Amino acid sequence: MSNIFEMRDVSFRHHPGTPTVLDHFDLEIEEGSRSAILGANGAGKTTMFYTLTGVYKPVEGEVLFRGEPLEYTREGLTRVRSDVSVVLQNPDEQMFCSLVEEDVAFGPLNLGIDRDEIEVRIDKALRDVRMSEFRTRPLQQLSGGQRKRVAIAGALAVDPKVLIMDEPTAGLDPQASMEVMELAEKLHLRGVTVLISTHDVDLAYGWADTVNVIRNGRKVFSGTSEEFYGNNEDVHLCGLLSPSTFNMNREISSLRGIPEQPCPRNVCSFLAKFGKGSHRPGRVFCVPYSEGDISSAYEEATRDAGDSARIGVYGSDARFALGGRKVDFYFDGIDSCFTEAVLGRDTVLFYDEIFGSTIREQAETLKAFGSDVVMEVVQ
Amino acid sequence: MTQHVLEADHVSFSYSRKGPKVLNDVDLRIGKGVKTAILGANGAGKSTLFGVLNALKKPDEGRVLYQGEPISYKHRDIIRMRSEVSILFQNPNDMLFKPYVEQDVAYGPENLRLPRDEVERRVDDALFAVGMSEFRKSPTMKLSYGQRKRVTLAGVLAMKPQVLIMDEPTAGLDPQMAYEVMEIAEQLHRTGVTVIMSSHDTDLTYSWADEIHVMQHGRCVYSGAPEPFYSDKAAVYLAGLLPPKTFLMNDALSGLGASTREPFPKTQTQMSAKIAANPGGSFGTLYIHKVDADTDLNELVSEHGLGDIRTGIYGLSARRAQDRSLARVDYMYNGPENCTMNCMAGRDALLLCDPLMVDSARNSADFINASGYGDIRVEILN
Repeated sequence: MSNIFEMRDVSFRHHPGTPTVLDHFDLEIEEGSRSAILGANGAGKTTMFYTLTGVYKPVEGEVLFRGEPLEYTREGLTRVRSDVSVVLQNPDEQMFCSLVEEDVAFGPLNLGIDRDEIEVRIDKALRDVRMSEFRTRPLQQLSGGQRKRVAIAGALAVDPKVLIMDEPTAGLDPQASMEVMELAEKLHLRGVTVLISTHDVDLAYGWADTVNVIRNGRKVFSGTSEEFYGNNEDVHLCGLLSPSTFNMNREISSLRGIPEQPCPRNVCSFLAKFGKGSHRPGRVFCVPYSEGDISSAYEEATRDAGDSARIGVYGSDARFALGGRKVDFYFDGIDSCFTEAVLGRDTVLFYDEIFGSTIREQAETLKAFGSDVVMEVVQ
Repeated sequence: MTQHVLEADHVSFSYSRKGPKVLNDVDLRIGKGVKTAILGANGAGKSTLFGVLNALKKPDEGRVLYQGEPISYKHRDIIRMRSEVSILFQNPNDMLFKPYVEQDVAYGPENLRLPRDEVERRVDDALFAVGMSEFRKSPTMKLSYGQRKRVTLAGVLAMKPQVLIMDEPTAGLDPQMAYEVMEIAEQLHRTGVTVIMSSHDTDLTYSWADEIHVMQHGRCVYSGAPEPFYSDKAAVYLAGLLPPKTFLMNDALSGLGASTREPFPKTQTQMSAKIAANPGGSFGTLYIHKVDADTDLNELVSEHGLGDIRTGIYGLSARRAQDRSLARVDYMYNGPENCTMNCMAGRDALLLCDPLMVDSARNSADFINASGYGDIRVEILN
């Protein structure tokens, strides 16, 4: 894969004579990857995002987008920004309109997309962030968490190739955070490159392929989470703490005298590694959903799985289609249903069709932890 | 009998006459000295509840009681109450009034008409507690979000309140700062302050709070210990929450018959100890040495011949002492948990601890011993 973004030896300071905020910074972001940016408050994460998208111009070094150096002209920057969406930490900094729907339409309008298409995109984007009912509401009547979701809808509406989110879950309640991460995963599967900065090391651990760690304006690490957290000294110096799942695996493996690898990154893998007894794993009845009525699929799958089977959902389309039907795991459906299966219970998982590969990947991962969960796809 | 420090007695509140009830018949009681968490989805009414509890907002219906007495909303009474009940808002920009850090932190104590040197001392202590001593003379405008958040926390600490309400105190803070804020909350609890906090981080509140109150669409739908609430999956879902990871894992493991559901592990260390319980094994000793702010840690460690074991620090005076003597410690964060884990693995560990924090420091070791997951000797050295 090629790099969609690259920073080569980039330094940046706000004014001549002030301290450098980015200091000989190198970065490579692979196209289609899931990257987390970690670092203490004030390490330079936000400045790095601004430099990446051409808002700030480096005083030294260069930024490359699709292999070409950024041009700091109106045309050059428009080219980058029509492909790259940024969701800022504080949603108020990027809201210009008074109504929710106007704000979501702002990006697509600027790209010259026609009105009908924009309507469709607003609908879709607001549904993805569960804000449809607020469509004609004034932004100032919304809570901080709701405004954040509108900002994310605005970013989705431009159909970006790269999505950069600065602390996307800060201030959001747990369910809304899950939905944001689900959206990030959906975009990843559509080929979008997703970059997220976060202080939630547990969240990043469960999601990112690559972590880039920033300290005092320098990139000090790029690689897998496990390589980074394996070195306590570095974690400490960077203002971070290791994720609890990582720590517990380390502690329990050492106490039991078993290898630390493979490292579980979510609850179902953790249980597969440490909790499995002699029983057979359960089956996951997988129901992909694309469009239309879900009733018959719901009835069939729940009948096949039996009354005691817990039901989970993953993805906004499937969640919307299920409406008021009985569901046990409305959020985090993949991890929850696979946890059930590891525990030996059958379960049903409804999901947006696109997540099929995520689910197969999860089943494969569990095999590596010794739990052979059976996936039965119900069409 | 528990004394209640704050009570909402069937409180309703709307922002405008015809507007929706942001608080709808909220009835809850906060016990004196009880570590209390207020949970709920975005827009559930948590921040409004805090405003009502602190007399910033007057209920349309019902009443609020402080120390058993209804709030009178007379200017003089409110001033007195606010000198005892402090609130830390989620957004620090709502709270910074003065151009320089030290002025801002001194603002509250000055209003209490304290002598100058007492104000100085409080500013000094509060800024140290939040790790912002070196920014004392800085303009608040120049600080980052996380730094401002810490300055506002210093401002409320300097008031020495009896009740501290914190709205999302760790949101936007990096993991180490978030940990420090939780340590400060524990320290305040140990000095007798009633700490109430809201947070979206259910893992964090689960490891800290004794009692939770769950808000949903302006109503308080649950008050009590966290476990019964998290056991009710439908209620958790309707409240916009998710169960803490530790709770989920423990539940699942007990579902496998690998262990019983109770006792509930609340921290990472307790969870690891439960999973890798080893009753017949050999365990290390957890040495706890109480230290004052001016203890020379290097001297202390060599004096006890403890230089070769893993060392952690915990609590305010220990941090101060570490800062002054620049002693090398292995665990600046999560000291008690990391030291306890060493003992589980058969290694002795030393915890340099604020005298007020000893009970908190040995909490996980006591949990492990009482549950039969291990046998860690805890020795208080002084």
